[in-house]
Amino acid sequence: MNTVSITLLQQFSQILPFALFLVAWQGVAKSGLIDPTFLPSVGAVASALVDLGANKSFYTELAVTFGRSLGGLALGAAVGIPIGAGMAVSPAINGFFGPLVKATYSLPKTALIPLLILWLGIGSASNMVAVMFSTLLPFVVYTYHGIAGVPQILVWSARAMGVNERRLLWKVLLPASQHAILTGLRIALGFSFVIAIAAEMIAAHTGIGKLMFIYGESGSYDYMFAAVTAIMILAYIADRITVEVSNHLMRWDDIENRLG
Amino acid sequence: MMAMRRAHTISSSVWHALVAAYPLILLAAVWEAAARLGYVRPVFLPPLSTVIAQFVPLARAGDLVEPVLISLYRTAAGLAIAIVIGIVVGFFMARVRFVRWLLDPLIAFSFPSPKVAFLPVFILWFGIDHLSKIVLVAFTCVFPFIVAAYAGATTVPTNQLWAARAMGTGNLGLLWRVILPASLPSLMSGVRVGVPYALVSTFTAEMIAGGGGLGGEMILAQRYFETPTVFVYLLIMLATGYLIDFGVLRLRDYVLRWHEG
Repeated sequence: MNTVSITLLQQFSQILPFALFLVAWQGVAKSGLIDPTFLPSVGAVASALVDLGANKSFYTELAVTFGRSLGGLALGAAVGIPIGAGMAVSPAINGFFGPLVKATYSLPKTALIPLLILWLGIGSASNMVAVMFSTLLPFVVYTYHGIAGVPQILVWSARAMGVNERRLLWKVLLPASQHAILTGLRIALGFSFVIAIAAEMIAAHTGIGKLMFIYGESGSYDYMFAAVTAIMILAYIADRITVEVSNHLMRWDDIENRLG
Repeated sequence: MMAMRRAHTISSSVWHALVAAYPLILLAAVWEAAARLGYVRPVFLPPLSTVIAQFVPLARAGDLVEPVLISLYRTAAGLAIAIVIGIVVGFFMARVRFVRWLLDPLIAFSFPSPKVAFLPVFILWFGIDHLSKIVLVAFTCVFPFIVAAYAGATTVPTNQLWAARAMGTGNLGLLWRVILPASLPSLMSGVRVGVPYALVSTFTAEMIAGGGGLGGEMILAQRYFETPTVFVYLLIMLATGYLIDFGVLRLRDYVLRWHEG
């Protein structure tokens, strides 16, 4: 067999479990064992998904949610990476932020949402700040470990060649810890969706999380399932893009450091 | 001389503790001062002392212990379901090629999805009370456990499996006496990852759907602008997360006391 047909066969064998899953779902839905309001058929959810896909306001809601999660993620990176880098290079900074990181590490971050609603009101501001706080720690921790783990010999060599502190950070420390920071980014990306959607479900006027509850309350369960499916697909695509971009950025590194 | 040295070590350890905790003390002082001096309205940020005083009436009204117990019950029940399902599925994936073929793509697809999006579905299926929250916790945590159990089970050296087989160990014995102990280090890492997920899911589900627990009480207090109460529940959530993580580390040390490294 040539390589093309082998690749096709591999892809088919990976898609087949999804097909079996859908067949099982359809079988249960049609068997009459479960009330169809509780489990809409695959066809009903698919047609709802197509309907949503043709609906401009659905994209608006998706854009609101993704804007909040990615905006909060960017804020988390902008604050978290400098703190992590600072902690790795300066004992004083480490002495200040280290205990704060330790004390807040085990706080479930959604606990801040009621407080942020109180401070910033219901809307994008409180949502994005909640996402920022939840994505802050992965960035701080992974940047810190990445930079602290840079082999000392690289730092000494650079210093011996007369590299100043600023260039040391940009040309040696950050590139050498890129892999760790990108791993932190992937974890933070997952958090950002969870927090953005959770915050919308707790209190919001817009966004996909709010929309899902509206569908649930009005009994449009096929649309509710379609919205969940859309979120799953988009989160998967966002994760794959992160992995592919990370691997592209890390193409100069050893192959075993690639993300899965 | 001895007494002096002892006094010296005590004062130096107190000094070390102070140095380690100074950012927290500083934060508490800035919080108290900013609130007392009127830089922020108390409805937004009540003084720390007011928050601490708020513990007393809440405890008297029975609004402290019960929410903690409800939240812990939901977390523990969800975790228990996730651990059992995760271990069974992970081990079968490691041992049976068909199961791995069937589940691997489905798990790879579901792993990065925000599980909280399923809460409306679970509320539809299991109602607004305990069960939908427990199922959300289980659904959130089952994926790290499957991955940990699978990773643990695939690290068992084939020689050990053959040796156990040669000594007449059956399928169940192989699972219980060989694969499970060998997977414990990986499973304990899964527990450390899964427990914070479980707590977050519980609190989030309670905030969204109500029905008591720390999350439910907190969102209720926020709606009535009882800010000191919101902070009390926040501090309790922080302490709960911290104590449980500490407990998991202790448990790991105990369970893996035979394991080197």
